[in-house]
Amino acid sequence: MATDAMKSQVAAKWQEAFQRLNGDSPGISGLMKFSEAWAISVQFLYPWDISSVPVDVDGRPYGEILYIGKDLEAARPAFNVVNRSKKLPALLETFLDDVRKNFYLVENEITQYMARYEEHQSTDEIRGLISRLVEWYRAWAPPPDLGAAVFQSYTLNFQTRLFSALPPSFTGGFKNLCATLLSPPSAEDAIVAVWRDFDILGLIERYETIIASVGYEYIEEYVLRTCTGEWGKPMLDDLRIWMSEKVVPWLLHVYARGATTPDEARTMLQGVGSRFDFHINKTLCDLRTREIFDVIIDYPDSMGALQDLRDCMQRVDQRADLVAALRKQNQKRLLNPGADTKLILQQYVSTIKCLRIVDPPGVLLFKVADPIRRYLRDRPDTIRSIVANLVGDDDDENGESLVDDVDAVPIQQHDFDDYSDPNWEPEPIDAGPEFRANKPSDVISTLVSIYDSKDLFVKELQVLLAQRLLMITKDGSDRVEKERKNIEILKIRFGESALQVCEVMLRDMTDSKRINTHVQAQKSSRLQPTIISRHFWPALESSDLVMPGQFHKLQEDYAHEFNVFKPDKKLKWLPHLGTVQLELELEDRKVQADVPPLEAAFIELFSDKPVWTLDELIVAVGSVNRSAAIKALSTWVDLGVLKEDPENTFNLLEKAEEGQSAAAAARERDTAKLVAPIADIPALSGTQLQQAEQMRVYWKFIEGMLTNLGGLPLDRIQTMLKFAPGYDKTIEQLASFLEAARREGHLVVRDGVWRLNPGHEA
Amino acid sequence: MEQLNTPAAPPRPAPKSNVASSGQQVAGSVAKRLSNELMTLMMSASPGISAFPKHDGNLFEWAGTIEGPSETVYAGLTFKISIMFPSNYPYVPPSIKFDTPCFHPNVDIASGQICLDILQDKWSAVYSVQTILLSLQSLLGEPNNASPLNSEAAGLWSDPSAFKNNVLRHYRAVSEPSS
Repeated sequence: MATDAMKSQVAAKWQEAFQRLNGDSPGISGLMKFSEAWAISVQFLYPWDISSVPVDVDGRPYGEILYIGKDLEAARPAFNVVNRSKKLPALLETFLDDVRKNFYLVENEITQYMARYEEHQSTDEIRGLISRLVEWYRAWAPPPDLGAAVFQSYTLNFQTRLFSALPPSFTGGFKNLCATLLSPPSAEDAIVAVWRDFDILGLIERYETIIASVGYEYIEEYVLRTCTGEWGKPMLDDLRIWMSEKVVPWLLHVYARGATTPDEARTMLQGVGSRFDFHINKTLCDLRTREIFDVIIDYPDSMGALQDLRDCMQRVDQRADLVAALRKQNQKRLLNPGADTKLILQQYVSTIKCLRIVDPPGVLLFKVADPIRRYLRDRPDTIRSIVANLVGDDDDENGESLVDDVDAVPIQQHDFDDYSDPNWEPEPIDAGPEFRANKPSDVISTLVSIYDSKDLFVKELQVLLAQRLLMITKDGSDRVEKERKNIEILKIRFGESALQVCEVMLRDMTDSKRINTHVQAQKSSRLQPTIISRHFWPALESSDLVMPGQFHKLQEDYAHEFNVFKPDKKLKWLPHLGTVQLELELEDRKVQADVPPLEAAFIELFSDKPVWTLDELIVAVGSVNRSAAIKALSTWVDLGVLKEDPENTFNLLEKAEEGQSAAAAARERDTAKLVAPIADIPALSGTQLQQAEQMRVYWKFIEGMLTNLGGLPLDRIQTMLKFAPGYDKTIEQLASFLEAARREGHLVVRDGVWRLNPGHEA
Repeated sequence: MEQLNTPAAPPRPAPKSNVASSGQQVAGSVAKRLSNELMTLMMSASPGISAFPKHDGNLFEWAGTIEGPSETVYAGLTFKISIMFPSNYPYVPPSIKFDTPCFHPNVDIASGQICLDILQDKWSAVYSVQTILLSLQSLLGEPNNASPLNSEAAGLWSDPSAFKNNVLRHYRAVSEPSS
């Protein structure tokens, strides 16, 4: 029940509201006037269907203005009335409500445009849609007379509705449109207009990330297109120029649209510009990281790429990625059995040089090199390859030498930090604990440091030198000189004392020449021996070859003369290492050949007896390897001097065989000429064989200690083996050796204690 | 050929060579001799005898193994001995004793002492570990009953089956040093 007080209060309120609307006008005429003004205002603002009426550029309809109540002159007084009555918020609310109700008109158009876009995928549709949306927006906009607040809430409202109405496919279309604006076919004005439209609709703020991604993708595409495989010169500067010419103007539209002066624009662009610059760096860095393996292969033609990489690395922290990528590539493409050791070494050297450019302190190199070094260590011919390269033993002249630095410097064993060095710098932060900052040492030092000591190299060097010296036939003094020169250079690297043995070997060469001259002067002989000091030469493979007939006689005569000259020395012949120049006189022809001694020995035997079996031959020259014997005999068969008939029986062909087709014989002779004179590389027991021999000695020691001391753990065996002379194996090597012995049943192991296998009879 | 006489490798500081690290200056040459003997012994394939230094870094204490010669009462048995080299070896014989109890006329069953002329007054510097071991092996088959340390064994020698029973009674198989 309403009380009196309440009634009077309601009445007072009513009066007040009435007063406000009616003003001072008599009766309700003020009220009538307000009502009219309200109606006009609402009508004026009403969001109309612009498709129904032609409009001008500002969204003002022409023609039947009055009909739809869009006469601003008429509406202005009405706005004033509404404003005076403090009903503007209510009017705004009504207006926005009308916008909501009529927004379906806009939505319909969006649907139409998007349907067409989805059909043709043409960005023109998107462009059209945006222009059309701007028209809608403008047509519905309230006049400025209503104040900025009204306009702003309209804009916000319109944009909110618009964004929620745009379908997901619009994003893609918008992105494409932005992309076309980057490489514009259309005129500058049109572009400006489009960006203005974007701005009006608030699309730039809304889709900023998309616009940026358009820019990023554009950059990526360009970088990949221009830089892939282009390693010759640094690309980064060109890219930056391109960026400032092509990308920055585009950026100006997006990020500096409010700028009035160039300076202002620059400030506005600063942040985003550096983001895009970073992106260029990153894209290039990624690209080069992917290409790094091939870049290294191409070194030094890929200097540009490496410089780029170095510069990019300073901005982009991708060092770990580079290491991972390179390691993976190395694993896949380099460190497999299919790759030649020489190639691996070459790639390793290139890697060293390349990564020094990218990262002078060498942290990257250290991380990348580790697997390569470990792999090389396991390859049996690594040392040989390195040494061969050191002495310039490359068969192919055009093969790039690993060693191209002219200045030979002593091999550096890695040195420790010099704390008194005023220029000392801390290790880079991503350096691992094992990292050794090897100061830019030369490539040879690095290669030699693959192994723990340089002794291995010196040994292999001796073997190689021995091989090369023994290959020298009688007039090869200039080659000896060449070897001497090599050794002199290597001395600088490895030190005088390490190469003393090589020195002796070279001296043997000159001495034997001198001795030979002397002996020949006493009694001339066809024999031209090289006299070597057994102790200082690597173990030469021994042979039981005994030269028969006249060869033996020659040897004995020579040895006799030698003994007269040097009574305290005794010659021990290594006949299998020589070469023999032969001239065979057969009934119908003469055959000349340079052959290895075994061949000569065999053919000498045939001068006594024309038919020999293989076994007889082998016995007659001492005992030689059967396959070697067959090979030697086949040389003569190929030359048409011997014939095998029946199997394992050889006949001397005093007359050239006519039965075989002459062509085949000729062909065989051709190949024979090529093959026969090429003597084998002097058979040296390489370091591997020597090692096997050493291991045999160590095995005796292991057997001895296990017999007498019972079971021993690995580390005891290792220390006990110090009793064996020259024992230099690591405990890991020993472990694998013991493991091998276990597999063969010589040893058993339990709880880490090794014992002789009692059941096994060696 | 002056050069030939200079060593091939530079004299390297040798912290590694444990052989000589037992300290004594004079021991250097003795250690070298022992090291050579060890090498010879290891590389010679004498069946049934063997010896090796007991501890790394010490060449003066060896453990040896002698297998009983076939066709003797000791056939199939293995005897452990220890060999101690004096610092003035080889001018003085090494002292040798059986670790495995050995019932033998010339061996003291309790202490393992051996009565063998070449280990006493007949010692000569040309003997080596290898010759000693070979002598010991043959001593097992041919005891010198004229100067017995174990008179009971000397007495029983003529009765092979009783002798063998005694040998087996005293013999304890080579026990592995517990590790």
